[in-house]
Formats: sequence, C-alpha cells, structure tokens
Amino acid sequence: MNQEPTKDYNPPTTSSQASLGPLAKKLMEIKGEIRGIDLKSDADFVIKERGKEGLNKVEEELKEVGYPVEYEKLETMGFYPGGLKALSLLAIKKALNFNDEKIREMGSHAIKVSFIVKIFIRYFSPISKFFFKESPKIWNKYWTAGEFIPVELDEKKKYAIVRVKNLNLHPIYCLYLEGYFSTFAHLVTGAEEINIEETKCVFRGDQYHEYLIKWK
Amino acid sequence: MEIDKNKNEDKISILLEDLDSLKSYIEDLFSFLPLPVCFISPIGVILEANPAFEKISGYKIDEIIGKPIEDIFAKEKTKEIFKEAEEKGSVSAREISVFTKEKKEIPVSLSIIVRKSKEGEISGYFIGLFDLTDIKTYQKNLEEEAKDLQDSRSALINILEDVEEARKSAEKEKNKTLAIITNFSDGLLVFDKEGRLSLINPQAEDFFDVKSRDIINRPILELATFPTIEPVVRLVGGEIKGVFRKEVQTRKDLVLEASTIPIMREKEKLGTLIILHDITREKTIERTKTEFVSLTAHQLRTPLSAIKWALRMLLDGDLGKITEEQKDFIEKTYKSNEKMIELINDLLDITRIEEGRYLYQPILTNLESVVQFVINSYKEEIERKKLKFEFKKPEKKLPVMLDVEKMRLAVQNLLDNAIRYTPPGGQVTISLKHAKGEKEIEFLIKDTGVGIPEDQQERIFTKFFRGVNVMRMETEGTGLGLFIAENIIEAHGGKIWFESKENVGTTFHFTLPVKEEFTGFLKEF
Repeated sequence: MNQEPTKDYNPPTTSSQASLGPLAKKLMEIKGEIRGIDLKSDADFVIKERGKEGLNKVEEELKEVGYPVEYEKLETMGFYPGGLKALSLLAIKKALNFNDEKIREMGSHAIKVSFIVKIFIRYFSPISKFFFKESPKIWNKYWTAGEFIPVELDEKKKYAIVRVKNLNLHPIYCLYLEGYFSTFAHLVTGAEEINIEETKCVFRGDQYHEYLIKWK
Repeated sequence: MEIDKNKNEDKISILLEDLDSLKSYIEDLFSFLPLPVCFISPIGVILEANPAFEKISGYKIDEIIGKPIEDIFAKEKTKEIFKEAEEKGSVSAREISVFTKEKKEIPVSLSIIVRKSKEGEISGYFIGLFDLTDIKTYQKNLEEEAKDLQDSRSALINILEDVEEARKSAEKEKNKTLAIITNFSDGLLVFDKEGRLSLINPQAEDFFDVKSRDIINRPILELATFPTIEPVVRLVGGEIKGVFRKEVQTRKDLVLEASTIPIMREKEKLGTLIILHDITREKTIERTKTEFVSLTAHQLRTPLSAIKWALRMLLDGDLGKITEEQKDFIEKTYKSNEKMIELINDLLDITRIEEGRYLYQPILTNLESVVQFVINSYKEEIERKKLKFEFKKPEKKLPVMLDVEKMRLAVQNLLDNAIRYTPPGGQVTISLKHAKGEKEIEFLIKDTGVGIPEDQQERIFTKFFRGVNVMRMETEGTGLGLFIAENIIEAHGGKIWFESKENVGTTFHFTLPVKEEFTGFLKEF
C-alpha cells in the first residue's frame, strides 16, 4: 500500500476506473500537497459517524478509483498530494451518502481534533493579532499550495472576511472549508452562533474563494 | 547544490518524523492520563480535552471542543477560581462541580495553570481535575457514620442521663424503702431467689439477737444454726414456703407471727420477703384473758351445776309439791341455767382450743354414724318447726379417723344453726359424699334460712360473731358455735367453707380426709 508521503507517492495506473475515476485522475494532478493529519481527520469523522465499517467502505471506494488509501497508515505530519483531500471527501460522500451538511461537519470536526491548530492555540488571543498574523501560518502548516488571506476583521460588528487563493481543488472542499472556518471562528470568538457564506468562489468564476464569517 | 538539497530534504524528513513522534508522544500522554485535563482559551472556550475529561463530562470530544466553560462548571465559582488563577499564576485543588451531559453533578478538585505568551499575555488555561465522587461518597459515609455515632453518642448520653436519673430515683426510692424497712416495727427478712438472705432490718436483728453482717448472704438453711432463727426456718422450710400469719416462738419471751410474701417482677420470682410481727403482748393478753375466762368458767360451772340439780329436784317434787305457777317459773329458770351451762361449756371449749388443751382422741369410724347421731337428737325440734328434712348418704361408707365427741359437737353446731335460723316449713338437707375420688369425704348442710348478710360473711368464723339479722330475730345463741366447729374440722385436717345469700339460705361444707390421709394430721394431736 502506498501510504508514504508525496515524495515517494506514485499513483498507480489504474486498470479499473469507477465513476470517480476520471475526476480522481484530474484531482491528483493538481499541484500542491496537504498534511496527512488533515486526511486522517476525515477517517476520524467517518469512524465517529459510521464506525470502522464505514471507513472500510471509503477505503474500498478509493481503491476502486485507483487511489487506494489506508488512512490509519498515513503519517500525520507527512505531505500527500493535495488532490487526495478532495478525492477523500468525494469518496466519503459517495460511499456513505453524506450530504453537504455532513461535509461541513467534517471541516468542523477537523479543526477540533487538529494537532496543528493546537500548536496555534497559544496565539488565539488577542483575536486581531491572531487573525492577521497567525492564521495564515496555520494554512501553510496544512498546505504547500494555495494562500490564506485574512482580509477584514471587525470585532465590534462581529464579522470577518477571509480569502483562499490559488487553490482550485473541488467545490466539495469549499463546503469543507465553510465548516472549518466556521468552527475556527467559534473557537476564537467564543460566539455561540456563527454564520458563514462563501461570497466568492473560483468555481463560480471568481478569482478566489472568499468567505464572510459573522458571529453573534 | 544537488547534494545540499538532498541533505536538506533528509533533515526535513528527520524533523517531520521527530514531530510525528512528538505528536504521538503528546497524544499518548494526553490520552492515557487518568486525570481529566482540558485547555481553555482566554475567552473561556474549551479548546482541548483528553479522554478522561470526555469520560467525566459525558461529552464526546467534538462536543466538548468549543464549549463555553460555564457549560461544564458552575459559572460564579469558575469566575472566582479563574480570577485567583490569573492573579497567582496557578490555583490548586479548588472544589467545584462538573455538570455532565446527563445533567449530573460531579464534585471535582480543580487545578489551573495560566498559560502566557512570550509577551506575557494570557493565551489560555490548563485545567486538571480530580474526581471527588468516591472521596465524597466516602466522606458522606464517614459523615453519616459520624452522625450515626454522634446520634448514638447523644442517645447513649440520653440513656446514661436517664439511667442516672433512674439511678438517683431508684437510690432515692431505695433510701426511702430502707428508711421504711429500718424503721418498720415488724421484722423483715428478704431472701433472694437462691434463698440467700439479702436484707434484714434492725427489728429482725433484735428479734433474733443477731447482727446483719453475721448472717447476710447466707442460705436460709444455714441460718437454722442460729437458735433464735431456727424456729422460723423450721416454719418456712428451706424452700421458703408460703405461710400467712403463723405463730412462731423464737425465744421464751418472744412470739412472732410470720408471713411470707413472694417478691415478683411480672412472672419472675425475685425472692421472698418474710414479715415477722411481734405478737408477744397480744399473746400474753390473750393468754391472760383465756386463763381468766377458763378460771371464771370453772368457778361458775360448779355453782351452776348445783343450781341445776337444785332446780331439778324442785321440778321433780323431791323437795315438796310446787304449784303450777312455781313450776313454770322454775322451768324457765332451769332452761336459763342450762343455757348458762352451755355457754360456760362453750367458753371452756374455746379456752381449751386457744390454750392448745383441746385434746382429740381419734378413732377409726365413719362420719355417717356421727351425723346420724346428731340428727337423731334434733328430730323433735325438726318436727316441731315442721321442717322438711333430708339426709343423703353415699352407698359406701368411707373410714375416717374422728374424735367422735368433738365431731358431734361440730356437726351439732352446724345443724343447730340450720334449724334455728330456718323458718317453720323450710327445708334442711344434709348430704355426705365422696370428694377427690375417695380421698376425702364431704359434709354438706343446706338450709332455706335467713342467710348471712354479705358484708358480714368474712367474720362468720370469729368468736362471738352473730349476724345482725339473726340477732334481731333470735336473742339466744353465743356466737361461738362456728368458731368451735372450724377449729374441730381443721384439727381433723379438714376444711370448712360456706355459701350464703340473705333470705335465700346457707350451705355449709366441710371435708375430712379419709383414713389414708390421716397419718399427717395425727401428728398434730
């Protein structure tokens, strides 16, 4: 099984192609890498929701599309092809019939169990400093591609605008990020109610992804 | 350049592995730590928690993360502790409650360390908990036990106070009782249930001329070694049998009347009390009186006999012819004289009984012949009063040991009363029957006479007693007959009793033991 980080990761030439097959190949061609911890958080969520059996289904789905993954064997701090994140989400959605909300929940869950986020906990306060100075660093801890840009923060009006540039993964990842940013905002602000909206999206013809986060 | 690049990649790879190992180490440490631990952001949001924290709170990890601390801990108390922690940098072992997902309240000991950034700003709080449930339960149990102990102690103190009060009361009562006992004019001996003397009062010490210390705690039979006490021991026996007002002479100049009373608590016998009443003076007076009566009766009997014979001679015409009128007077005088003689004889009998000189000479005979003899002597009187008379006899005659003369007197006294106090035309019935198998013979005399008033029945066997109703209708009678009869019956080992209802009639009974039972009472003669 190929559970090595990117430098040794050589996607096999698949003999059988499932419905995700062509998309998978395309995704795997996207430049940029993601940390294993983020992929492993997908597995955590699946196990939490559907148990080990659910995870087996997902792994089977990935195997079918020609990119077999054993989540357990992924190295937490290792780097893997960035497209694998979108493929993981799509495989989960397909194998377990998850709706969009579940995908958002996955993003929310990821931040809760993320070791990387924990490293940054000490910088959560004050919010403005964290928002503008520290939060982009978190992105870079996950991704070797893309860019996280804190655009605007208004603590009085209780909203923030962030952008993700140069990462055109898949719309499913947009949902995932909604959940991720939403929970992040909750952890940083302590607000009970968080509303998030992807106001701009490259898949809708925009130059970048932009999220408007509001809290009460 | 290529070599440097490869070296750098190797270094990065090593660093990533190290980071991975470090993460794994931290996660393992965090996960296996048995104490609940969490990290709180400066704004009071839980950012991290270990499995032990999950367990105590009842929340899953992704439910805990992001939860305000007030959802888990009591708000005011938490604020207070956090404030203290911010001031001191840390706080140890503060008691607080964890509110679980299931709305349970779990007592914990909470410790906080404040985490600060390089700039000295608070970046969060590490919280460690220690579940106090077991300790609290133990403490509660201890408190309950302590309370129980305290209650028991209080109860015990109350009991002790009650006991002390009861003791004082008992002491007071005892002192009172002792004062009564000490100053009691009667002698008192208290024996425990084992028959050991537990108390003797000063009066009894005087009676026996002994000191308490010499005889206390000794068994009753051992007390018989004291000559003055021996008569009492002989009277009551080693088992201290029930006696009631029995005379006992302990010294030449001392006559006591002894009674025993069992000391009972519910149904348990705790001992026996012997009461000794000094009747020496009464006995002396009684003896003097008896002697006087005896002397007087003897002195009177001689002239009365002389008068009787003189009158008899006058009535028989031995001293010359007398007129009818004279005869009538002399006959009345003769009858009066006869009654005087009868009274004197009764008084003499009584004095003999009281002096113990009423000697009995029993012979083996049967009661029927004695009764028949008496009935025969009253036939004329029965006919004169037109009484319906019946004598019921058993088929079998049982042998009894009787002093015939005395028994005739007893039966005569009973029959005389029945006839005397039954109006003409009434009925008198005498019955003899076997009782207690054939161990006793019972005599019964039933009349339809005036009866004995209920309020006077208990005095019926005392000397000179006559019922008020019979005194109104009959001036004659000495009131000695039943006293004599009772003494005679009892001297034969028998018992006498009666039932009576005024204006309805009276039935007297007595029983006598048949021959086999006689050996005992013969010793009395």
